Amino acid sequence: MKRKILFALSSVLILLSFYMVLVFVPTEIDMGIVQRIFYYHVPLAWIAFLAFFVVFTGSIIYLAKRSTKWDNIASASAEIGLVFISLMLITGSIWAKPAWGVWWIWEPRLTTSLVLWFIYVAYFIVRGYVSGEERKARFGAVVGIIGFLNVPLVFLSVTLWRTQHPPLTIFSGGLEPPMLATLLVCLVAFNFLYFYLLSERSMMKNDERMLSQIKETMARRNA
Amino acid sequence: MKELRDAFTIASKDVLTEIRTREVLSSVVIFAVLVIIIFNFAFGSSEQAAGLVAPGILWVTFAFTGILSLNRSFILEKEEDCIEGLMVAPLSREAVYLGKFFGNVFFIILIQLIVIPIFSLLFNISFFNLELLLITILATLGFASVGTLFAAMAVNTRARELVLPILFFPVITPVIIAAVNASAQVLDGQSFGAIAQWLGVIGAFDVIFIVASYLIFSFIIEE
Amino acid sequence: MENAGYLLAAFILIWAALLAYTFIIARKQAKMRRDIELLREQLEEASQK
Repeated sequence: MKRKILFALSSVLILLSFYMVLVFVPTEIDMGIVQRIFYYHVPLAWIAFLAFFVVFTGSIIYLAKRSTKWDNIASASAEIGLVFISLMLITGSIWAKPAWGVWWIWEPRLTTSLVLWFIYVAYFIVRGYVSGEERKARFGAVVGIIGFLNVPLVFLSVTLWRTQHPPLTIFSGGLEPPMLATLLVCLVAFNFLYFYLLSERSMMKNDERMLSQIKETMARRNA
Repeated sequence: MKELRDAFTIASKDVLTEIRTREVLSSVVIFAVLVIIIFNFAFGSSEQAAGLVAPGILWVTFAFTGILSLNRSFILEKEEDCIEGLMVAPLSREAVYLGKFFGNVFFIILIQLIVIPIFSLLFNISFFNLELLLITILATLGFASVGTLFAAMAVNTRARELVLPILFFPVITPVIIAAVNASAQVLDGQSFGAIAQWLGVIGAFDVIFIVASYLIFSFIIEE
Repeated sequence: MENAGYLLAAFILIWAALLAYTFIIARKQAKMRRDIELLREQLEEASQK
């Protein structure tokens, strides 16, 4: 029931965001029409960081309590976070091309996200190369904790590194009310989508685990 | 106190093994020199090029050699089944971490002490000053902190030589960025004040990850 | 309207990717349902014997 409400809310808000981003919002004067990518790019980044924060807390709780439920939540959130951060990097790149003439800029937030992308890819590589459900969860939790602790340091070091270069102006003026409204709609829509996907995916992981346990006991009984 | 004593016992055991077998040190030093020579071929060794790329090459070399010696620190234990011995010995898991950490710091610094003169010779740059020594020691502590943790994890996976760099490199980005920039500024003849911010980044990394790895290590080798 | 192509590309990419992700999840779920069905049949067979 809860999931159905989340699904309905995110669907409605996503449809509303289509209208607001493509039609309703006024075009920014300096940046032109590509600036509209911003309304999706920023929420994507926000959700990715939220997702990795959930991985971090889920991992800590898993190591403290050893309940598979929390590993399911953490690994589901890592998966969703990876999808969102990939999209954030790609949209950032598509935006950078017309705005600054290059596909990639070593902007602190983008660079931090790129490093995070590698860390959470490593999260799944480690899980893939380990045998045993319990050990997968334990090693995953360690990567989830260490990886997230690193975020402020990566951001700080990249920011210091890039200060030798001229800062990028994303906006000449502030956000006008219709722009802010559009951003908020997208933000809320993605939040609902994230929590919908998280509950769906972590429950699935739980079912997968139960299913494989049942299969094992059946196989043992038949043998 | 007992923990520290135990840690030093483990570290000295590793050093003693190395003195007897000379398995790691000689080959890692050869590897390091080879990396430097290959970079020399790639970038040329004109004075201008050397000043520009030397700090980067130095730290890439250190990161690569760090990986090699970190990997060996647990592979040897695993191959000879010594890890079981460590587990049943009356030691805390934290003491095992600290012991391995000290051992790794010792080996990496030893390798650097051999490599830096060769590097100075080939690039015709003087690398002997107090600031650079400080950067190197702080960065090595950072490498070894997460490196020891990840090496213990990687040795329990199916593709251990692959898993360590995939985990290690993204996490140490702040250290690499800070160390390269600080070394460049030192070579540029800038004052201590200029590199203080970079030393701050590496110092913060060291503190955070030594504490975090110390606390989390027991979850990796618990079986 | 210059650069509208970039906006369109980003827009389509985001929603195509999210759609693909939900599609992959749905397929996993369908596979699980089949497995459950299979197990149920096996269990019924076993109990009839």
